[in-house]
Amino acid sequence: MQTILSINNLTKSYGPVQALKNVSFEVPEGCVFGILGPNGSGKTTLLGTILNVLNADAGSFQWFGGMQQDAARRQIGSLLETPNFYHYLSAMGNLEVNAAIKQRGKDDKLRVLEKMGLLQRKDSKFQTYSLGMKQRLAIAAALLGNPKVLVFDEPTNGLDPAGIAEVREMIRMLNKEGITIIMASHLLDEVEKVCTHVAILKKGDLLLSGPVDEVLRSEDQVEVKAADMQLLEGVLATMPGITKVQVANDLIQVTCSENVTTQGINEYCVSKGIILSHLLLKKKSLETKFMELTNN
Amino acid sequence: MRSLLAIEWLKIKRYRTFWILIGFFIVLLPLWNYEISSGMISMGNSSINLLSQAYAFPEVWGNLGFWASIFVVFLSILVIILTTNEYNFRTNRQNVIDGWSRMQFYHAKVGMVIALSLAATLFLFLVGLIFGLANGGSITDVVDKFEQVGYFFLLSVDYLGFALFLSLWIKRSGLAIGLFFLYSIIIESILKGLINWKMDMKLGNYLPLQSSDELLPFPLVSLMKHIAKQPDASMGPYVIVTIAWILIYYFAGRMMLQRSDW
Repeated sequence: MQTILSINNLTKSYGPVQALKNVSFEVPEGCVFGILGPNGSGKTTLLGTILNVLNADAGSFQWFGGMQQDAARRQIGSLLETPNFYHYLSAMGNLEVNAAIKQRGKDDKLRVLEKMGLLQRKDSKFQTYSLGMKQRLAIAAALLGNPKVLVFDEPTNGLDPAGIAEVREMIRMLNKEGITIIMASHLLDEVEKVCTHVAILKKGDLLLSGPVDEVLRSEDQVEVKAADMQLLEGVLATMPGITKVQVANDLIQVTCSENVTTQGINEYCVSKGIILSHLLLKKKSLETKFMELTNN
Repeated sequence: MRSLLAIEWLKIKRYRTFWILIGFFIVLLPLWNYEISSGMISMGNSSINLLSQAYAFPEVWGNLGFWASIFVVFLSILVIILTTNEYNFRTNRQNVIDGWSRMQFYHAKVGMVIALSLAATLFLFLVGLIFGLANGGSITDVVDKFEQVGYFFLLSVDYLGFALFLSLWIKRSGLAIGLFFLYSIIIESILKGLINWKMDMKLGNYLPLQSSDELLPFPLVSLMKHIAKQPDASMGPYVIVTIAWILIYYFAGRMMLQRSDW
């Protein structure tokens, strides 16, 4: 599969604040790539940099294996941060400017307006639009001329629940048609629902990246306790399938892969001569996983 | 460049403020001069109206040029509004996101400055032609002192270029317009006075906007020199310095845009 975007060691700071620290990852063709992170984690800075509105301090990125960057951006539909339009122009007038700069999508204006439910207001000035309509127009502008790649920064911002569902459904549909989508979000739920791949940012650091089911796989945790805690800790560390052993208060927390059961742990300990006094399976939600990743 | 200007045109053709400011220039320049030439606005004894003497060829060019150099502020304000709008609406970002390079964004604005100046100069030419012919000139007299039409073009590019540079630097319309007036009316006069005070070279005449103002002096001054049979001062140095300032705005703006975040 072709790589749509590859990012190598991007670094960027605003004065003393490091917004991006050596961020590297690749976006494969045909995926929905979520950039996930709490507010202020560098998501918009990252997107702004790969769209050339911000200058990186160090590092590089390549679109479509090294296409000239202005030409590459014309192939991409983007929505960065807020909808940016000429207030005194109508939706049609604004899309005309977008299409002229992109050099494509000139005859596509009505289709995208219809798709975003703005056809009836196509001749109203942008300044008369509500927040949700502005966001819809921004998405419509990104869709002009059927780009192969879409970059969305918080695409569901300002939309009502029906609008949110609609946009998510649209993203899934577009992806089915083979369009690669890169989207930033601070909503785990959103990423989980629509993304196939994810990169998690925290204060400019890339914590993890990869396919969603690998990165955000929910792991089970088991709490155990025995008379001799030191011996127990040593034994558990040697058990196959156990990825992490952590002592917390008077308990030991064990993180294990899916094929390990509480029964298995008990049997293993008994075979090593340890009798457990406490054994509890704790399911971990994605939410906890995310909080754990992004809070220290 | 053609396609950049075509896109710039898409942005402004339905912008009311654009038409209002252009309208001020188109209506007020001929109206003001008509009132002077017909004696409604006058200076001196009513039987010898000094101001109205210069509407025949060849004086009409320098005379109109002088008054146009005042009305060109409408176009300067227009350039400031159109440029700071981009920052206000963050469409400068959108233009780049959609596929323009920063330099294309810049050159579209530079192109607009040149196109506006060309249009204003053409308009000046038409108005001058009508005044000149109405005051008994013939079409063969047009070429005399015609270089003053060219001076107006330089002056316009100088003023609008300065306005563009200021807008890219300040980014906010109110502040940029305020600074433009503050500089062009007050600061430059003070600087000029200070510099020329004890200098034979009159270096104060070569300040950014003053250098092009010198190309089109107050009409009575040249009329008086003419009567006193003084030779016209050579405009060569002012032409060169004006062009130099225009280039300085261009390259300074270019550097500013390339370095900063948007």
